[in-house]
Amino acid sequence: MSPKLTSTHYVRFDQDLCAGYGSCLRVCPTKAIRVKKKKAIRIVEQCIGCGECIRICREGAVSAASQSPKELGKNHVAIALVSPVLYAQFPGVMPKDVLLGLRHMGFEHTIDMSYFLEIFQFATEEFISRNRKSQTAPWPLISPVCPVVVRLIAFRFPNLLPNVLPVLRPVALMAREVKSHLIPEYSKKGKDVVLYYINPCPTKKEPAHLPRHKRPGPAEVALGINDIYPELVKHVEQIKAADGIPFYQTRFEYETCATGNASMWGMSGGEIADMDIDQSLAVSGIEETISYLEKIELGLFQDIEYIEFRTCREGCLGGVLNAIDKYLAKGAVQKMVKRFGLGRRLHRENIMRMYEKGEFQSEKKPAKLTSLFGAHKEALSIDNMQKIEKVMELIQGTDCSACGAPDCRTFAEDVVRGNAALKECLFVGARAGKKD
Amino acid sequence: MSKFKKSFHIKGRDFIRAGEASINVQNLLKSMDFDPRLIRRVAICGYESEMNVVMHGGDGSLSLEVDTDKLILEISDDGPGIVDIDLAMQAGYSTANDDHREMGFGAGMGLPNMKKNSDQIHIESNNGQGTVVRMIFFLPEGGKTD
Repeated sequence: MSPKLTSTHYVRFDQDLCAGYGSCLRVCPTKAIRVKKKKAIRIVEQCIGCGECIRICREGAVSAASQSPKELGKNHVAIALVSPVLYAQFPGVMPKDVLLGLRHMGFEHTIDMSYFLEIFQFATEEFISRNRKSQTAPWPLISPVCPVVVRLIAFRFPNLLPNVLPVLRPVALMAREVKSHLIPEYSKKGKDVVLYYINPCPTKKEPAHLPRHKRPGPAEVALGINDIYPELVKHVEQIKAADGIPFYQTRFEYETCATGNASMWGMSGGEIADMDIDQSLAVSGIEETISYLEKIELGLFQDIEYIEFRTCREGCLGGVLNAIDKYLAKGAVQKMVKRFGLGRRLHRENIMRMYEKGEFQSEKKPAKLTSLFGAHKEALSIDNMQKIEKVMELIQGTDCSACGAPDCRTFAEDVVRGNAALKECLFVGARAGKKD
Repeated sequence: MSKFKKSFHIKGRDFIRAGEASINVQNLLKSMDFDPRLIRRVAICGYESEMNVVMHGGDGSLSLEVDTDKLILEISDDGPGIVDIDLAMQAGYSTANDDHREMGFGAGMGLPNMKKNSDQIHIESNNGQGTVVRMIFFLPEGGKTD
């Protein structure tokens, strides 16, 4: 642990802006932050990209490790892979106009996710229906959609990895489709393609050490919705003002605009709203998610078939990289759903043919997830556990965090592991002072 | 020979916080990097016994002892005790009341589940004088080093 501000795969830290308040300490679900010498430092490998530190930092010292769309479309074909959460940032604007705005910004193609969300829903329903008979996976199955949830499980609840639904996430289905059908058209002509993921949170960007990125393929860039919003808003305003601009011709079904079903996905409960599952739940918020995962580990909720978890409160609309407030966005979604209704466009039979071929099966096995996101901490021995208890007795914990650790127990562990000194505890220091 | 022991308080009738002691035990075992399957078994036993205390037992405690060759989970309470232990061990037998059932408990699977998930179980109970349940989980060859 070196005493300097460290950026992780998902978040970037500005040392000059950090005031050392340590409000980020307590919100970190993997206890990856310490404050040393009035500056926050990170245990980089423990970051799962939830973005809670971005949300809480008053100084703005933490930001997403997303890139900016510099010189969009210059020397390359820019393809936008759009999260439906983007539409909710424009209350009263039709999704197709938002997509058109992106085209005006310089994106050659705008890929809407609705199509892939529907595929995911069909595949999930099918897996669950088969699992009722085969019992291949334990109940309750856990939605793989929020990547933070999956990483959180690998890090803190490895017992529950078999519960993660082994179906490819919608964004993975979308990327695969684009890579296998759209990109080759440009490759043939010798043109470079860049995929831009437009996201409501810093998590969609998978760390560079993942094998996926070593494979040949187009360059991939993660953009936050708030990275493009100021520019996009101007184009959308223009489109709204000008009547009768014809919508661009699109060549692929998935390039056409969103459905009410897709809009719903931004809200907590949106994933399961239109799914045909007997017993399902939607849980949102990082604390609530952790509390539920703890209970599932104790053997509870086995009568539930599927749980949709989102670590952001209210779902993806609550992502830290959104441009407008989550409740305003929720209002926009509710209006869209009222207008478009739920329901799907794709035909179940076609999807089932692909399902039979195993096209939606996720290849990420529990062991792999553990190796990627598991807690790579040295196990504590019986001796160490005793030492931690002794330290706890000495500090008589109030979880004040003045030492720079999120809580007393974590501090005691740091002391025993040799990463902190006992005298850093204010209470220990004060008592030592009195004796002198 | 060194052992590690830690105990947690269980408050009777507190259904909101029920499970906390077991979660604490689970977190300790995770930090010591035990086999996830073993942790799960201990956690299930912990939770079942914790619920018994919360439902029937008044106040009590849950303690975990980590030895080099085994884990011991001990739950004690000052509740009414178990009248007929053999009967209580039968699947489906329950003394839960209607309130408990409304909350989804009282299927009569608590003690049988604990028996199933532990390697040894000892129950000491005298009617009217509380209950002590001791469960042992043996560690595989090699166990846990100091």
